[in-house]
Amino acid sequence: MSRAWKSPVTVRDAAPTPSVAQQVLPFVEPAPLVKPSFLAATLVQRLWFCIWLPDLPLEASRSSDDATVIVEEQQGIHRVLLADAKAQAAGVMTGQSANAALALLPTLQLEERSLLQEQQALEALATWLERFSSFVCIADRDVLLLEIAGSLRLFGGLPPLREKISSGLRQHGFDASLAIAPTPLGATWLARAGRRMCIRDERNLKRTLRLLPLASLNWPEGLCASLTGMGVTTIGDCLRLPREGFVRRFGAEHMLELDRALGHLPDPRNSWRAPERFCADCEMTEETSDRELLLNICRELLLSHEQFLLARQLGTQRLCFSFFHLKGPATELHLGCARADRSAERWLELLRIRFDQLVLPKPVIATRLQSGMTQALLAESARLNFHTANDRPARPYSIAQLAERLIARIGEQSVHSMALIAEHRPQYAWRAQSLLSDWASSTLSEVRRHLRRPLWMLPEPALLPADSGYPLHQGGRLRLLDGPERLETGWWDEDGISRDYYTAVNLAGIRLWIFRNRSRPSCWYLHGYFG
Amino acid sequence: MSSSLDKLLENPRVWRGTHQTQRKAGLTSGYPELDRHLPGGGWPTEALTEILTEQYGIGELRLLMPALARLSAEDPQSDYSEPGWIAWVAPPFQPYPPALQQCGIDLSRMLIVRPKGPSEILWSAEQALSSGTCAAVLFWAETLDDQASRRLQLAAEKGHSWAIAFRPMLARQQPSAAALRLELHSTAQGTRVHIVKSRGGRPTVLNNLL
Repeated sequence: MSRAWKSPVTVRDAAPTPSVAQQVLPFVEPAPLVKPSFLAATLVQRLWFCIWLPDLPLEASRSSDDATVIVEEQQGIHRVLLADAKAQAAGVMTGQSANAALALLPTLQLEERSLLQEQQALEALATWLERFSSFVCIADRDVLLLEIAGSLRLFGGLPPLREKISSGLRQHGFDASLAIAPTPLGATWLARAGRRMCIRDERNLKRTLRLLPLASLNWPEGLCASLTGMGVTTIGDCLRLPREGFVRRFGAEHMLELDRALGHLPDPRNSWRAPERFCADCEMTEETSDRELLLNICRELLLSHEQFLLARQLGTQRLCFSFFHLKGPATELHLGCARADRSAERWLELLRIRFDQLVLPKPVIATRLQSGMTQALLAESARLNFHTANDRPARPYSIAQLAERLIARIGEQSVHSMALIAEHRPQYAWRAQSLLSDWASSTLSEVRRHLRRPLWMLPEPALLPADSGYPLHQGGRLRLLDGPERLETGWWDEDGISRDYYTAVNLAGIRLWIFRNRSRPSCWYLHGYFG
Repeated sequence: MSSSLDKLLENPRVWRGTHQTQRKAGLTSGYPELDRHLPGGGWPTEALTEILTEQYGIGELRLLMPALARLSAEDPQSDYSEPGWIAWVAPPFQPYPPALQQCGIDLSRMLIVRPKGPSEILWSAEQALSSGTCAAVLFWAETLDDQASRRLQLAAEKGHSWAIAFRPMLARQQPSAAALRLELHSTAQGTRVHIVKSRGGRPTVLNNLL
């Protein structure tokens, strides 16, 4: 019954000798898998979308439209790895030495293969593909896999989804071979074989896979050569071989691969996760001081930033733009907003306010956008609206929007709200509260009503001149109206005070809040106006 | 007959002495004597008010506090369901929160803005006024020419917000688009309030108001 399951195990101990019939045709009539009943309920039919990028080395490092080849050093000689259509038309072929290729086409552009750039291109594509599926996997150096069974309904079925992905790939400048199958390896092999196929049924999968040539398996060349020597040219031929013998001669891992591709063995994959912070560069071919152009570049960066956050349901409160110059440190521009947001339009509006004032000391060669800490962004639920005649509308803009605009232009330190602190020392009885942080519940203590406090406070107490012990203000003696109110101690933070506060009035009738230090020398200070 | 007469009398070019009709009721100032001399029976909200003083701290804030407290609390006359914010743009000293709370102002709806230059002050005030978020915007401007005051007046109308400009006494010679202009003089007996210009009202001097 469960032969297909057991086969890899029997390889290792090789104890029970299988019958002749089993040995010869192990897969002719594959037995249905027996699954435990508790798994059956949760089993989900999976569908894998494979994107194979055969020309990735060329597409990742291409810099001009001229005929280009990618060269790679093999045993000390630079050989052509990939040639584009123009180069091929001139007779350049894979495997030629670079000199031979240049002799055929003197204007040929030679590009060294860069695995790093390929990886980056692949990651950028994987990030972009995250909008289609929550499960994207970089399966190989040139293979991307998406699990799309869960996305079909959202995108209106398979054909629209497939069309969206393939047109998007074309826009990004990639020439891809696509295939869809219920197993990841099956999809990969179909794509490698260049079959633009969509298989949703496991039985169809087996039938199709059998016809695929060995070359689409990406197995080592030596293995393929010896199999071809045996007259085995397709996967079907492989499956017809006795399992035991195949495993002994070529190793168990290839047999396991076949089992996984056919769906006899599970094939778990790791989902690729993009970094949670956004950082993108835009490099220009030459320096520029054109501010309009720079704004457009920033806009592009903001749009990709928005897509990045959208894929993760995140928002951010802070952004940093860096403008790089050829020499000297980069010019940085920090933006903040009151509520986590990802909308490119909103960030652009804030950027415009700041960009007007930004001084760029030198022309700019590259621009970078880096997002701050991201946070989960909750979609706002709209209120059910039952309007009656008496209902008054809410204010059209929130304070957050106003604060953002103000902060963008005049800086974060210069815009704040205030909160009370339960503290007897007058200068510590309140604090400025940033509008960009979450709203803390302010006004924690009710100020006692009978205390006289001035509406205007001086940032620092001002020393008052004195005439034989009486304080003077604007050339006249002050008249004390009220006091003293003694405020003392603060030993816990080494800013202890010992003061007697009075309400005083000067000759012009202005009421002042003054105090006298109790410690020597006992001078008079002005601390506030009653305004 | 009477309706067409009313329409005629509503024309701002018709001056009717002390008995004028006011389209929008003013915001009660908390000082009955002042209310009596202000058209509409209070501060003209949705307009620019200028307060000229020789120096700051002579009682200009106390004059406003009852009205600001009323704006800060739930206001049944307001067009909106929640009370607005009170913005302070470029105050000369630090507004002291405990004292503000004693006056009945909701501190959680206070916005302090400290721009650097004169043009930034006017820009910030205009932003705050036209945003529709602030019930009142207090700003301290050394320079405020005729054109700027007109802009702020329009911004106040647009945002349904009360603009209050505090200016030095030197500015009394400059023309202004303000709906109300007051001069505050401190004397040994108290603060004298001089209504210099009042749209729809008459100039008056009020002694010992504060």
